[in-house]
Amino acid sequence: MTNDLHHLAAAYALDALDESERREFEAHYPSCAICSAEVSDYRETAALLAESATTSPPADLKDRLMAEIGSTRQIAPILPDRVVDLAERKRRNAPRQRVLALAAAAVVAVVGFLGGLQVARSGDDLDDVLVAVDAETLPLEGTAGNARVVWSPSEDRAVLIASDLSDPGTGRAYELWLIDAGGPNATGLFRPDADGTVRIQLDLDGRSPAAWGITNEPDTGSDQPTGEILLIGEIA
Amino acid sequence: MDRVNPLSRLKAVGARAEPASEADVLAGLLQRAGRGDQAAFGELYDGVSALVYGIVLKVVRDPSQAEEIAQEVFVEIWRLAPRYDANRGSVKSWIATVAHRRAVDRVRAEQSHRDRNDVVGRQLERDHDSVSELVLDRLDRTRVLNALDILTQDQRAAVELAYFGGHTYREVAALLDTAEGTVKGRIRDGLIKLRDHLGVNQ
Ligand SMILES: [Zn+2]
Repeated sequence: MTNDLHHLAAAYALDALDESERREFEAHYPSCAICSAEVSDYRETAALLAESATTSPPADLKDRLMAEIGSTRQIAPILPDRVVDLAERKRRNAPRQRVLALAAAAVVAVVGFLGGLQVARSGDDLDDVLVAVDAETLPLEGTAGNARVVWSPSEDRAVLIASDLSDPGTGRAYELWLIDAGGPNATGLFRPDADGTVRIQLDLDGRSPAAWGITNEPDTGSDQPTGEILLIGEIA
Repeated sequence: MDRVNPLSRLKAVGARAEPASEADVLAGLLQRAGRGDQAAFGELYDGVSALVYGIVLKVVRDPSQAEEIAQEVFVEIWRLAPRYDANRGSVKSWIATVAHRRAVDRVRAEQSHRDRNDVVGRQLERDHDSVSELVLDRLDRTRVLNALDILTQDQRAAVELAYFGGHTYREVAALLDTAEGTVKGRIRDGLIKLRDHLGVNQ
């Protein structure tokens, strides 16, 4: 099923998935660097298709619309300040929240939408993890770049924030492993942006990490790490 | 590193008195609309209303319904404008996504009210029309239509029935009497070809 999911980006971008597949894919793609890049590309392509169908609407539509937006409240923007405030408030109880506040500010400043209707949701989701009461943050060590993982058992999710990662190579991707008593669990496959940064969120699926690690793997993913551990952090 | 802040690009463009690209102008308007600027939103509407109404009409067919949905789409865009982030995709891509999704959801909600057995028959009728319509479409509107020519007939039929017809790939498979996996593959191959041909790239 997971393998199938990676092949749904094109049909998804054309709104050609039925309800259940759409939901499944929407749960998957924001945390899959490959699928989210594909969705964004295919949506740009679909927009060009839409341009071949342009038709001017009736003239009175604009008047009715402008009247309606005059009385329609806009949603709040994602404000870095607001998130820092929340994190600062928690800092009183836990010193490690200071790191989290910085991480939250850095992430939220660049959190955007993953295309269309994901806008608010992906932003809110990241906020939720970063400011969760039980959020923990752990820097990963190694020479491949800078990375930290913030995770929240109550949200059952993690956010990986990384910078200065090199291109993993053609047909290759990085994989984040949650290491628990049972060994390494693959939690997410990703590729850094052109500027070497990564911001993705992942599901914990109820697992409690003892360590987090990153390896370089084939972009189809691996069940167990096959490459050397490039970055690792152990929970003290 | 490769990432350009669209705002700074707009400013730089202004300083050098070069014409700003359409995409930059739309991004600037949406950004202003996100701060509650209704005049900017009105200008944005002028820039993309034919795109929104056109794709909605293509999917739902009925002009008065298309108008109603187009209005809903623009209200949604107004509401969500404060969260728009230019780093994640173009304004047109975002707006076309919202419009297409809403049109498709409407068509499917109505379909689910109908008798299931009836649906397939009606769809078949409807889509025979739609296919011939598409074939008869004048191919001179944009480079996109030319680009569609690079697709195989099978790929083109799958992409157009899905996107313009508003069908799921499973429905497209039923309409074309082809295996679902095959149709899924044609949609994917077709979009990849179009993407590469049209120079869409992250
Ligand atoms: Zn994927």
